[in-house]
Amino acid sequence: MTILRRTISRRAFTAGSAGTLALGAPLLSRPALAQAEPLRIGWLAALTGPSSAPAVGFNRGVVYAVEAINAGGGVKGRKIELVTRDTQGDPTKAVNATQEMISAAKVHAIWGPTNSGEALATTPIMARFKMPNLHPCVVNSLIDTAKYPNAFRMAPSNSQWDDAVRGYVLKIVKAKKVAVIGDTTGYGTTAAGDSVTAFKKDGADVVYTAQIDSTQPDMMPDMLRMKNAGAEAIVMWSVSTGMAARMFNARAALNWDVPFVGHPSLGSGEVAGLIEKPANWEKVYVINYRSCSFDAAGKLPTRTQEFLDKSKGKIDLTNTLLWWVASGVDVIEIFAKAVTETGSSNSEDIIKFLNAQTKYPGLFGTYTWNTGEHNGFPTEEIVMGAANSSKDGALKLAPGY
Amino acid sequence: MDFGATLLPILASGLAVGAIYALIGVTYNTMYSTSRVMSFTSGQLGMLGGVLGSLFILRLGMPLIVGFVLTIMACAIVGVVTEFIAVRPVLKSLDQHLYVLSTLALALMIQQFTAIEWSTEPQPFPRLFGLGSGSFDEKFWLPVAACAFTIGALELMQRHTLVGRAFLAVSEDNFAARSLGLPERNLRIASYALAGAIGGLAGFAGGELMLAFFANGGQYNFYGFVPVALGGLGNNRGSIVGGLALGLFQQAANFLVGGVFASVAVFIAFIIVLLAAPQGLFGTSTARRV
Repeated sequence: MTILRRTISRRAFTAGSAGTLALGAPLLSRPALAQAEPLRIGWLAALTGPSSAPAVGFNRGVVYAVEAINAGGGVKGRKIELVTRDTQGDPTKAVNATQEMISAAKVHAIWGPTNSGEALATTPIMARFKMPNLHPCVVNSLIDTAKYPNAFRMAPSNSQWDDAVRGYVLKIVKAKKVAVIGDTTGYGTTAAGDSVTAFKKDGADVVYTAQIDSTQPDMMPDMLRMKNAGAEAIVMWSVSTGMAARMFNARAALNWDVPFVGHPSLGSGEVAGLIEKPANWEKVYVINYRSCSFDAAGKLPTRTQEFLDKSKGKIDLTNTLLWWVASGVDVIEIFAKAVTETGSSNSEDIIKFLNAQTKYPGLFGTYTWNTGEHNGFPTEEIVMGAANSSKDGALKLAPGY
Repeated sequence: MDFGATLLPILASGLAVGAIYALIGVTYNTMYSTSRVMSFTSGQLGMLGGVLGSLFILRLGMPLIVGFVLTIMACAIVGVVTEFIAVRPVLKSLDQHLYVLSTLALALMIQQFTAIEWSTEPQPFPRLFGLGSGSFDEKFWLPVAACAFTIGALELMQRHTLVGRAFLAVSEDNFAARSLGLPERNLRIASYALAGAIGGLAGFAGGELMLAFFANGGQYNFYGFVPVALGGLGNNRGSIVGGLALGLFQQAANFLVGGVFASVAVFIAFIIVLLAAPQGLFGTSTARRV
């Protein structure tokens, strides 16, 4: 019988110890690294292209908030790293950017995209990876807690906009006969169709409805038809500022003072340059928000005013809307708070935090999310604003409030 | 039909947009006459006329006449660039119709560049003279005046100048013209510059009505092609008549049946005309060697 004795030489011991240390070091130091690892927030922004105006506004708020938090020491010592990708409003580019953010950049949460066409393409991808996602897109189907438990809306949905417009027209303007028009885009057609159905359900007389080519040089034909039909208010669903301005000019040419109520684009600064005279923009009321509205005394809500005072000179508000900027600030602060309170940047923890928010006091809105409802913006905070009253990106409340 | 409330606005806006379409048709024809190429940059030249007019006069504050001259010159240069970049390389294989791709690609590049550098929203165009109001506003009659001026000037040039006759000679038979010693290549470049100027004039004169908008190019390309097909390829008079008829029909359809159906009505009429006269209303069918 032979007994085999294995001895460990000094050289083998040294080599083995070094190897163990080398292999084990990353494991030992992981908690320390996680603490120092930046909090990466993906930002799918259509910063150029035909629908870039909102993202440019959101971006100002996002950049401001990131710089402010990082200057204050970051989130529990972790700097926020913004991973911005310009999607140009193109769903294909948005899909590519989403995949790159998740697989290569390893972001912890994603903000955006900011238009529904892109979001329809990216939302299922983010759901597959359980990526916490906040977005402001209005299409109703983008929020579904069963299919997309990771996706949260922090702006109103289309039906909330529709409810607010309809409420203003029927209860405050007290119009009985309504004309509802949209442009010929997918959004214009759907929004106008839904609006007509809802008006009819509420007992209103929809005397005229049409899809109008937004490049049509003369809007007089439709204005004449609406006037002849006896419309007491015109509800308009279009993002085309050219179409809006032509409508207002045609209304003035007819000496008709019917009010226009509708999409925020009717109040875009671009319209000001396209109307033939400033008076043509009177009696145009657009979707706006309590937080970004001047009251009768010309004052903004205290929280908004404090933000404006604090950010004065740091954010350009001359050619954008305040609610876009405010939303951008809110998103970054919400993600930062999620990591601060849970002490983790894991997807599950961020989603759990979002699902537990009741009346979260944001700059733009008071958000409430839970496991059964991811439409976080309260309808009562949607109001109509006077389109031609923009100052610092905020509007005066429309008459009647 | 109430003349003041309906017929007059139809006539005013119909003739105005018709004149713009007609001038874009003439732009197509002018390029086609010396190269046998249908250049899809024609509509973009119209768009540039509006955008550059607004840029020079409103944004840069130049006097009207300076802004106008610079706009026309810039559009003429774009016309020449079209010839160099998108037309000349494919002339040897005209039968393969590669020019469809090359001119369309250049047109898209022009449109995207304008969208990025100018704006993706319609921008205001300056009020040029401040004349007229209602249906007699200058925005309605300026395109018609520009159209009348252009067709008159082209007729004069073709009948009474050597260059005009040389253009005609090249458009009739460029091999024969070359064998007679005419500088065919230079004449082709000149015709592209002229086409650029005509397209620019269309957009400038129609700027008050159509605004300075990058997406106008696609619309001009599309509706400017209809008068060419209606009037017969290469036939300027046919394009003018076809363009004005298209504008009037489109605006009448707008008033009578509404915007979405107006486009349908226009194309139904267009298809019926082409079925009845495939060579266009004023075109002549050419003999084919068999």
